[in-house]
Amino acid sequence: MVAMSESNMINAQTDESLKEAPLQEITTNVLIVGVGGQGVIMLSKVLAALCQEQGFDVKQSEVHGMAKRGGSVFSHVRFGKKVFSPTIPQGNADILVALEWAEGLRWLSYLNPEKGVFIADTQRIVPPFACRDRRRYATSGYVQESVEEVINQVPNSSAMDAVAMAKELGVPKAANTILLGALSTTLDFEVDNWKSIIARFVPPKTVEANLMAFDTGREWIDNFDKQTQLENSVTAVTSPLEIWPVEQNQAVVEINAAWCKSCDICVKFCPERCLALDSQQIATLIKPEACTGCRVCERLCPDFAINIHTPAVN
Amino acid sequence: MIEENIQRFDIRDYLRTHLFPHFMCPGCGHGIALRALLWAIHELGISKDKLAIISGIGCSGRTGAYIDAHTIHTTHGRPLAYATGLKLARPDLEVIVITGDGDCLAIGGNHLIHACRRNLNLTCLMLNNETYGMTGGQVSPTTSNDRFTTTTPLGNYEPVFDACALAIGAGASLVGREITMHVTALKDLMKEGISHQGFSFLEILSDCTEIYGRKNELGESAEMVLSQKANYRSDSYGNQVDEPFKPRDITTGILAKNDRVEYLDACHQHKMSKLQKAMNT
Repeated sequence: MVAMSESNMINAQTDESLKEAPLQEITTNVLIVGVGGQGVIMLSKVLAALCQEQGFDVKQSEVHGMAKRGGSVFSHVRFGKKVFSPTIPQGNADILVALEWAEGLRWLSYLNPEKGVFIADTQRIVPPFACRDRRRYATSGYVQESVEEVINQVPNSSAMDAVAMAKELGVPKAANTILLGALSTTLDFEVDNWKSIIARFVPPKTVEANLMAFDTGREWIDNFDKQTQLENSVTAVTSPLEIWPVEQNQAVVEINAAWCKSCDICVKFCPERCLALDSQQIATLIKPEACTGCRVCERLCPDFAINIHTPAVN
Repeated sequence: MIEENIQRFDIRDYLRTHLFPHFMCPGCGHGIALRALLWAIHELGISKDKLAIISGIGCSGRTGAYIDAHTIHTTHGRPLAYATGLKLARPDLEVIVITGDGDCLAIGGNHLIHACRRNLNLTCLMLNNETYGMTGGQVSPTTSNDRFTTTTPLGNYEPVFDACALAIGAGASLVGREITMHVTALKDLMKEGISHQGFSFLEILSDCTEIYGRKNELGESAEMVLSQKANYRSDSYGNQVDEPFKPRDITTGILAKNDRVEYLDACHQHKMSKLQKAMNT
């Protein structure tokens, strides 16, 4: 995912030649990604408004709406003396802010491979399509790369658990503002300017909480030490999904033939179609391996003939 | 998500298993409602020694007999009267009344409105299958329009009784309705009703598959359970119970809840105030 295509490398080189120019001369590219409902658009609005106030030419473009809550959302913010194109070419983002872990990895190819700054939240929001196997402990299709792997590969990267930090502050929704605080350390704007813009964009009742979250993000980045992060994050990423093999956790379906009255409810309601009526018109399990232990049959059986035993979770 | 932290619920712990298989027809919704009730009792942690089930006559009345707790199978329409007496004598017991649409609304209608008025801490579950199933499928107060029964061979033309509107009007402090297809929601509603201090009236829309369903060609049991969805509206759609006679346009969830003073509390307060007056004079 980190590997760059050839054309991107060329882009990166042209960028290199502009390195000496003052900030106002070159365009700074910030890419903010996440999923619907996290506050991606709000972050980019704050950033764009701030840059505009500072006299920069700003272009911002985003994809939202279709994503609904939980879908992929991204926003390009470009600012400089004069900005010509609203979107960031691949490999040219100076800063990539990811509000969700997999989204961050999805957009890594847009980050400038040498001097790009990667700020990520380790929060994992698993989309429904990543876990189509409905059995317990089935392996999910969610990204398997651990935090330390990515942090090691990407220079100038930092990963924080912003949601946990926001919860600690008592404002779980302000995780995006914490990341904004972290972002603010990489740009040359006054803290007071940042804060006045944030106060303008967040709901009036949450201004104080958001400013607190902003300071927390700044503080965290100042104290950030890659080595300690790597040591601490090891336990955080081991997912229970990978520990348990599916076979050992197969649900056991116990059917009491003497109580079954062949009403057919279990057969017709089973989402995996693993039950059927046998020659005696008694419900039987025909595909034991397909059973996910969802208990629909057990709960809708009017004769209490089905009992599902799922292994205890601990 | 499957429940994880509570002790495993095995329904057989709460049943008189020597009476099984039960007498109900294949696919009868009363069985699903009975499971939801026992599941709610399990999750509330009510001991079987502290549980009293009072049931009337009819298919719904027979369901009580399968529960391994204190059960009384009473006369037609009078389970609420028996339950009131039992609760007054033994307030420590958790008294749950299982009754049917004919039992509760037709012959026992008077007992229902006065139980609602008194607001004694009882839970009344009305299993509404729209017919008198046990006696062969006669018309009941809740039979939908144009449905065939043995006593309405050309279809029912009487207005349909909305039991929840009646209970709210009579002053029940918690009134709710749920369909048997939503077993988990039904269980949660029953938990709410049982733990509520005051009279709670819950209407459970159940299916009579063999008698009512067959006569009206409503499909097999699974189709009948699925068709409950067709007439269903979630409580977010609107909680107004404004018309007493409605077509089958069902609002589910908690329809009314208030903090009216409970009967035994009111009784105690009244007694204390009288005593106080007597002491002062």
